Amino acid sequence: MVIYLGWRVYQTAFGEGTYGPDTWMRFLITGLVVGGMYALIAIGYTLVYGILFMINFAHGEVMMLGTFAGYFVLEVFSAIPAPTAADPNMTFLNAQPVIALILTFIAGAGVSALIGYLLEKIAYRPLRGAPRLVPLISAIGASIFLQNAAQLLFGPQRRQYQNPDLLWRGTGWMIPVGGKEVMLTYTGLFSFVLSILLMVGLVILVKKTKLGKSMRAVAENKQAAALMGIDVDSVISKTFIISGFLAGSAGVMWGIHNGLFNHYVGFLPGIKAFTAAVLGGIGNIPGAMMGGMLLGLFESLGPALLGLDFQLKDVIAFTILILVLIFRPSGLLGEALSEEKV
Amino acid sequence: MKTTLKKGLSSGVVFGIVFIFLLLIGFINVGSTMIGDLLGNTENVTSGHLPVNNLLLMLALMGLLNGISARRGLGEDKWWKALLGGLLAGLISGILAWLAIWLTGTLSMQGTALQDYLPSMDPEELNFLRFYSTPIAAANTYLIYFAAFSVAGAALSWLFSIRGWFTKCWQSCKSGVVNWKGTRNISGVFENRWVMLVVFLVVAVILYFLPILWGSYWNYIMGTVAIYIILGLGLNIVVGYSGQLVLGYVAFFATGAYTFALLTAPTPHGIGLNLWLAVGASMVVSTLTGLLLGLPILNLRGDYLAIVTLGFGEITRILIRSDLLTALTNGPKGVTDVGQPNWFGEVFSDVNYMHLLLLLVLIALFIAKRLKDSRTGRAWVAIREDQTVAQATGINTYRYKILALLLGAAFAGLAGALFASRNQFAGPEDFTLMVSINVLCIVIVGGMGSLPGIVLGAFVLKGLPELLRELEDYRLLVFGALLVVMMIVRPEGLWPAARVKFKKPSEKQMKDLATEVEK
Repeated sequence: MVIYLGWRVYQTAFGEGTYGPDTWMRFLITGLVVGGMYALIAIGYTLVYGILFMINFAHGEVMMLGTFAGYFVLEVFSAIPAPTAADPNMTFLNAQPVIALILTFIAGAGVSALIGYLLEKIAYRPLRGAPRLVPLISAIGASIFLQNAAQLLFGPQRRQYQNPDLLWRGTGWMIPVGGKEVMLTYTGLFSFVLSILLMVGLVILVKKTKLGKSMRAVAENKQAAALMGIDVDSVISKTFIISGFLAGSAGVMWGIHNGLFNHYVGFLPGIKAFTAAVLGGIGNIPGAMMGGMLLGLFESLGPALLGLDFQLKDVIAFTILILVLIFRPSGLLGEALSEEKV
Repeated sequence: MKTTLKKGLSSGVVFGIVFIFLLLIGFINVGSTMIGDLLGNTENVTSGHLPVNNLLLMLALMGLLNGISARRGLGEDKWWKALLGGLLAGLISGILAWLAIWLTGTLSMQGTALQDYLPSMDPEELNFLRFYSTPIAAANTYLIYFAAFSVAGAALSWLFSIRGWFTKCWQSCKSGVVNWKGTRNISGVFENRWVMLVVFLVVAVILYFLPILWGSYWNYIMGTVAIYIILGLGLNIVVGYSGQLVLGYVAFFATGAYTFALLTAPTPHGIGLNLWLAVGASMVVSTLTGLLLGLPILNLRGDYLAIVTLGFGEITRILIRSDLLTALTNGPKGVTDVGQPNWFGEVFSDVNYMHLLLLLVLIALFIAKRLKDSRTGRAWVAIREDQTVAQATGINTYRYKILALLLGAAFAGLAGALFASRNQFAGPEDFTLMVSINVLCIVIVGGMGSLPGIVLGAFVLKGLPELLRELEDYRLLVFGALLVVMMIVRPEGLWPAARVKFKKPSEKQMKDLATEVEK
């Protein structure tokens, strides 16, 4: 099996009449951009898992609501007129694209953070201390509820993000690779850089601040943390707010980069980000970042490397999840967990 | 005083937000239409408008509930305090409603196309919600209704609390519901073999005549319910008995349906196998799929298992519709003209088919019941409760978990074959994650591990939505909310599984025992 796969990879990568280096470059860029978003969502799973030992199944829907919030804010901005002497049809979105984008991200991430907070308060907090399947089922219920609420509220049709001209989809720099030109889209670069910045911010938050310290303490041992005077409930709430914030940012990026979305937008990224979190070792923040990037790369390079249809890219992600869980359930960077945490 | 106001405030805010949410998803309209249908009050002949008093009735009901909830848990109190709390709750929710109605009304009258963003806010419906008048007047009506009926609700709840009726009644109802299965003198009767036989015969006669009497529409609905009962029984073995949360149950259902379809349909293979053999084959193939999936992953712990099986379910669907397997499965088009059951060449009518389904449901119930009471069933329960302890008592946990999954998969294969043969079609979009979720809801809402619970759950979750067609859009929303609420309020389900309990000796028995020991 392994030999066959290796032969297959060798053949597609170096055989005759296959993809040129420019195509590989394109796959690589796609993988990194998507990987950054996966990483942001995966951090949310990992943070919550590290503290509560539960899979926040509704995390993908939290991201989806962030995408919707960003969409509505951009719609409003593109409707506000800001006529200038040069262009009387100018809108606020194009007149002040930087401010508009910052506000959009704040709105998307803020809505997601709020939803994450409410989710914990309503659906998970009453179940603390219950058997492990109980909060998981509650999370599944919350996920279905949020998805269908979004469908009923905003309708089932696909919608398109209204990007400012500065970040128009399909525009970008041309990079010459192997004699041909590969486009590095502005949206892709923007998303990637922003996700890296957010991750750096998160690491600083966890490592350097008092909140980060108390989060680590609660993850280590709730009782002991409470005895040290840490308000465990408030730390858990804040964890959900942070993970919602990151998921919301990823949701707005998703909208800006991919354009089309509907109420299902959170489902697959949610599952895949969970895969990424498991791949890196759940509960481990650098693991989630690495897992997200790796999964993005596997997904975009995998079908080409294995000579499969691109229809099957979701199958690749799920297969990786199954393989990781069978052979290395603690993930690439995870330590072996004790029975209590398992 | 402080708690009264606090309760009123929080109840008001919650009700206001719930009202706005219901408004935005269009439920206020649907709900008042349903009230109209119920009262036979559907259309105003003179104006052609929908009658607004249905809507007013709905608002009044919401106001009453708000008032009652504002006083929940407060017990006996001064009357003015109770009314004040109700008034506060009503005013807060009323103000929120006022804002929502005024804003949507004004925007839509100015010509803003709200329905582009919020589909249920189209001008027609908004006009109805405004009672066909101006936004301000309508908003004021909402405010007055909420405030007035919230006070009325609070007054009502106060009256009950003063007499203690309400609380007593509630408590007795609650304990009645909790204990009614425990009444020994009734359940004792059912242990008599002859009584059981008579009951069984009566049920059998009823089940024989019902499909003949109630027509093909009901046969269709009840057929769906029956298929879901079989699915629920199968998943119950996996989730309810052995405690393995499997979210990809649809994979086995799909395998069963596709095996049956491909073996009997003229295209794409044209095998045309005997139908009864094909049913057996679907069960075997589903079981093998279960083995394939179960062997590597069943040692994973609960939440990982859930996600992996979910992934497996999705892989199955994607593979079925992918170009890779089109030659085998006919791809996204699905398999048509699937064979129907027949008896020596005579194709089953819907009545016969319903009889077949009922028979299979009874057999499945019987098997599930016997499994539950067997040594295997006890081993499963032990694994569910504590795997480490189960292992320590000498149970081969791995083997029993695999066995549970295989049996569950076989049930799903049977249900899949029935599903495909009834619809005469098997397509990839019939086998989405939602099927797994539906079945899981049936098992959990009914009560994990409880057989009557599964039947009840299938009727409530698959039968009721078919009857309440207006609510079709809200079905999944309610499912989601139901799962969360059930987990918080009643994790054991509507009809929990009876468990063997050892009674604590009464105080007198303890004393007797003590004196005996002293002697």
